[in-house]
Amino acid sequence: MKSKFLLLAGLGLSLAAGLHAKSIELLNVSYDPTRELYVEYNKAFAAHWKAKTGDDVTIKQSHGGSGKQARSVIDGLPADVVTLALAADVDALFENARLIPKDWQKRLADNSAPYTSTIVFLVRKGNPKGIKDWDDLVKPGVGVVTPNPKTSGGARWNYLAAWEFAKRKLGSDDAAKDFVAKLFKNVPVLDSGARGSTTTFVQRGIGDVAISWENEAFLALKEFGADKFEIVVPSLSILAEPTVTVVDKVVKKKGTAEVAKEYLDYLYSDEGQEIAARNFYRPRNQAIAAKYPDNFAKLQLFTIDEAFGGWAKAQKTHFADGGTFDQIYAK
Amino acid sequence: MRNSHLRKFAPALLALSALLPAATRADELSDLKEALKALEQKILVLERKQEIRDEAATAAAPTTAKVTVNDKGYTLASADAANSLRIRGLVQLDHRWFFEDDGSIQNNSFVLRRARIIVEGALGKQFTYQIVPEFGGANPAIVDANFTWTLSPELGFKFGRFKSPVGLELLQSDSWTFFNERSVVSLLVPNRDLGIVAQGDVLGGKLNYSAGIVGGVADGANTTNSDFDNEKEVVGRVFATPFKDNAGSPVQGLGFGIAGTYGRAKGTNGRTAGYRTDGQQAIFSYLASTITDGPNWRITPQLDYRYGSFGLLGEYVVSTVNVRPSTTGKLSELQNKAWQISAGYVLTGENSSYNGVVPANDFSLSKGTWGAFEVAARYANLKIDNSAFPLFANPVTNISESNGIGVGLNWYLSKAVRFTFDYYQTEFERFATATPTTNPILKSDEKTFISRFQIAF
Repeated sequence: MKSKFLLLAGLGLSLAAGLHAKSIELLNVSYDPTRELYVEYNKAFAAHWKAKTGDDVTIKQSHGGSGKQARSVIDGLPADVVTLALAADVDALFENARLIPKDWQKRLADNSAPYTSTIVFLVRKGNPKGIKDWDDLVKPGVGVVTPNPKTSGGARWNYLAAWEFAKRKLGSDDAAKDFVAKLFKNVPVLDSGARGSTTTFVQRGIGDVAISWENEAFLALKEFGADKFEIVVPSLSILAEPTVTVVDKVVKKKGTAEVAKEYLDYLYSDEGQEIAARNFYRPRNQAIAAKYPDNFAKLQLFTIDEAFGGWAKAQKTHFADGGTFDQIYAK
Repeated sequence: MRNSHLRKFAPALLALSALLPAATRADELSDLKEALKALEQKILVLERKQEIRDEAATAAAPTTAKVTVNDKGYTLASADAANSLRIRGLVQLDHRWFFEDDGSIQNNSFVLRRARIIVEGALGKQFTYQIVPEFGGANPAIVDANFTWTLSPELGFKFGRFKSPVGLELLQSDSWTFFNERSVVSLLVPNRDLGIVAQGDVLGGKLNYSAGIVGGVADGANTTNSDFDNEKEVVGRVFATPFKDNAGSPVQGLGFGIAGTYGRAKGTNGRTAGYRTDGQQAIFSYLASTITDGPNWRITPQLDYRYGSFGLLGEYVVSTVNVRPSTTGKLSELQNKAWQISAGYVLTGENSSYNGVVPANDFSLSKGTWGAFEVAARYANLKIDNSAFPLFANPVTNISESNGIGVGLNWYLSKAVRFTFDYYQTEFERFATATPTTNPILKSDEKTFISRFQIAF
C-alpha cells in the first residue's frame, strides 16, 4: 500500500515537473568550422540541462567567419553566447557595443578558451607539389588556399603563423612581410571563412595546399577520405585559442543568463572536453587529450603573446585598416 | 571535375600530337597538359569567386536598402520595408482664359497653380509621415506636415497639419479630380487644419472612419501653423463601401458617407474670407466688421460611384456660422449651402477612379498610342443665406446664389502626366435689390476656359 502510494506520488511529481518544464532557446554565434563540434555538444548539453533542471533547451547555431560573426552580433544579432575564433573578435563586442564587460576573459578558466587548436596544411594525396613547410607556400606555381583575414579568425591565425615562421627564419619583420606578401600572391580565392576555404580546396578542387585549422584538416580526411588528401605538419605553428563568452546584455534581456553560463561551463566538463577531442579540438584537460593521440599533430607551437604581444597589438599592427595585410594585399 | 576539362580536350590533344615529330611529341604533350591544368584551375577559381560573390549578395540582401525610381516617385527603403523615404512631386501650370470680359476683370494668364515636393515615408512598421512644401503660391508655405501612428488597419492616429476629413472632393488628391478646379462645395468645408484625428477601416475595410479634434478653420480656409482663437472643433466622417468585395457587381464601386464638424469660433478669422468662382474670382465676402461669435457646424452627405469607365461624384454641404455685424451687434445664425454633381467617362475604356485613371498605354508617337481620354461634366450650386444681407454682406457687390456648369476633357498621357481642358460657365444671382451691381465680375456670367498641364508622381 505504502509502495503504491509512493509510486503514485512519484508519478504525480514527474507529471507536475513535466507540466512546469520550461522551454528555453539559446543562440550560439560561432566561427566557421565548429559546426560538427556544436552539433554533438548541443545534444549533450541539452541532455545535461534536462537532467539537471527538468527544462528543455534548444540551441540555435550561427556559423561564419569569426570577424563577420562578431560584427553581426555588434549590429544586433541576439547571441546568448559567442564562441569565436580569437579573443580580439570577442573584445570587439565590448569595444564597439559594450555587450560584455571589459574583463570578460577572466570569467572562465584558461582565458575563456576551453579548447585550443593550431594551423596545419592540407594537401592533395601524394602531395604532388612536395609541400613540407611554410617556405614551400611562397614558391611560384603553388596555389595556396586561405580565407580573408579581414573576416575570418582562422585566416588571422594562418597569417600570424606564416609571419612568425618567416621572421624566425629570415630574421626581421620586413623579411616576414615580404614573405607573407609572396604567400598571398599565390592565393587565388579569398573566402570569408575557414569552412568556405575548405569547400574551395576540397570540393571545388582549387589550389595545391590549404592552410587550415587542425580540426578542419582532420575532418576533411574523415569526411572525404584519406585516399584523397593528406595533412602536412609544418615545423612551426601557432597555438590558436578560440574564446567563448556569455553576451551579457542579450541574456539579461532574454532571461537566459543561467543557462547560457552553464552552456559555456559545460565545455570544461569531462563530457565537453571529450566531445572537443573527438572533433579534433585540443582539450585543456590533458588526461582527455592523451586518450586521442592520433587526433592532433605533433609540432612546435608558439603563442600570440610570445610572438606578437597579444591580440590587441597583433590586430592593430596587422589587420586593422592600413595594417600589414592591407599594405601587402593592396600591392 | 578536375579531369573533366582534360577529357574534353583529349581528342584535340591526340590529334595535335599526331602532327608533331615523335621526338618532341612527349615534351610538347606534357607542356600542353600542364597548360591545360593551369587553365582548368583558372576556370575553377573564377567559378568559385562567382559563387562567393553570389553567397555574399544573398547574405546581404536582407539588409540591403532598395532604391526604386518610377512614376510613384523616388523611394529609398530598408530591406524589410519597415523604413522608407519617398519623394514625389506635383507641378500644375494653368492657363486661364476669360471670355467676354473685355480683359478688364481678370487677365488671361498663365498661373503656376501648384508646385510641391511631397516627402513621405515610414519609420518602423507603425509610423508614417508626410511633409509637403508648396512653392506655387505667392510665398513658399508648408501645405502638409503630419505623422500617423497606425496601430492596426482599424485604428490609427494622425497628428499635425493635414486636410480635415470632411469634404469628399477636397479629400481627393489635387492631381486626380474630374476638373482642374474643385466645385463650390469645397469652398464651404475646411481645408487644412491642425489637430489629432483617429482613423481606420473597419468591417472588413467596408467602412472608413475619421474622428478628431482640430483647431477649426473657416469655410475653405487653411490653418496657419497655430490656432487663431481659444476654441476647438470636432470633426468626423464615415464613408461606406459596402459592396467593395462584390466583384463584377454594378454596385461594387458605390461609396457613400457623411461628414460633419462642430465647433466654436470667435473673431474675424472664424468667418470665411470669401467664396470664388471656378476662375478663382471673388464673388462673395462678408463685411469687414462681421465677426463670428458662437457655435458653427457643418454637415455634408457625399457619394462616389465608379462602374467601369463611368464615374460619379456628388456632395451637399450645409455650413452654419453664428455672426455679429460688429463686436456689439446682435448675434445671428447664417446657413450657407452648396451642392455639386460631377460625372466622368473614360473614352478609351480604362476604369474611372477616385485615385486617377491609369492609361492602358502611355502616350507614344512611335508606338501610335495616345494614353487615356476622359470627358467630364459638372453642375454646382452655391446658396448664401438671405439673412446675410444686408447686415453681414453687401447685396450690391455679392452674389446670393451661383449656378455653374463645367465640361471638360482630361488627357492622361501616362499615370504621371495629365493635361486637362475645362470650360466653366457660372451665372450669378443677387439678393433682391434694385441697385445695379458695382462688382464687374457679377455683371455677366463668368465664362472661362482653363487648361492645366500637370505632372504628378
